[in-house]
Amino acid sequence: MMTNAENQELRDRLDLIENMIDEGRRSTERWGWVFVLWGVAYYAAFAWSSLDRSWLAWPVTMIAAGLLTSIMAGRRTRNHPRTGIGRAIGSIWLMMGVSLFVLMISLGFSGRLDSHLSLAIVGSMLAIANGASSMILRWKIQSACALVWLGAAEAGCFGTETQGVIAFLVATFFCQIVFGIYAMMRESRRPQVHGETHA
Amino acid sequence: MERPMPELPELNPVIHGKLRLALLSLLAGVDEAEFTWLRAKTGSTDGNLGAQLQKLEEAGYVKVKKRFVQRKPQTLYRMTESGRAALAEYVRALKQLLGASMEME
Repeated sequence: MMTNAENQELRDRLDLIENMIDEGRRSTERWGWVFVLWGVAYYAAFAWSSLDRSWLAWPVTMIAAGLLTSIMAGRRTRNHPRTGIGRAIGSIWLMMGVSLFVLMISLGFSGRLDSHLSLAIVGSMLAIANGASSMILRWKIQSACALVWLGAAEAGCFGTETQGVIAFLVATFFCQIVFGIYAMMRESRRPQVHGETHA
Repeated sequence: MERPMPELPELNPVIHGKLRLALLSLLAGVDEAEFTWLRAKTGSTDGNLGAQLQKLEEAGYVKVKKRFVQRKPQTLYRMTESGRAALAEYVRALKQLLGASMEME
């Protein structure tokens, strides 16, 4: 028959297994800063294109933001473990970025791009990516961001050009800057190491 | 009449070491993990961690991959299918032991 101490030892082991599995799953990379960076990039591109009326504003700013993201992500995630969830979410955002870039460049060169269409495409693609991420992470605030982006896309379809632009700028502020800062604050509160474990 | 004693399972000695158990459990939640991340999560020393990971590797429970990232060496560990099965079996055995002890109480 097992003593109380032996019993407790077995329970401790079960707890250790649960805690460690959770710890691994929680260790997805920290991505709040990416939302902020892209929010600032949208504002920069928008300001440049408004002031200069240059067709280069959006492609150059987006390429610069993409490069900066990949360099910083490479540095920050070097020692992080890879998880299935991280890969799933990363693939959604990567493919959204690539599709958006190719589509916008193609529409621009074909001469079929106008402000209504571009706002509708950007808004709906960001709604898809935010919505899919929020479903994987079961994160309601990100679902709200998806709805805001969808609203901005609808404003691009039905509103005037000014209304569409205002909707886009408001969505960028809340769903990129505010949401990104909130995500960074949440990530910084996440515990890193849960006590020591020795053989 | 006295009830016959249930046959109690034996706990796998390779996994039973606390650090090895923690390592396998950590690796169960990720695709693969770097040595330094495992060290941070377990609070172990390099020597002890290396020795325990080697035991898990010898038992066929983890696989090691070495590579260079920006000229720095990186050692990645991944749990194998037999490691996953062994951990699941260990948990089953633990629960069975706990269940048996509660029945006796």
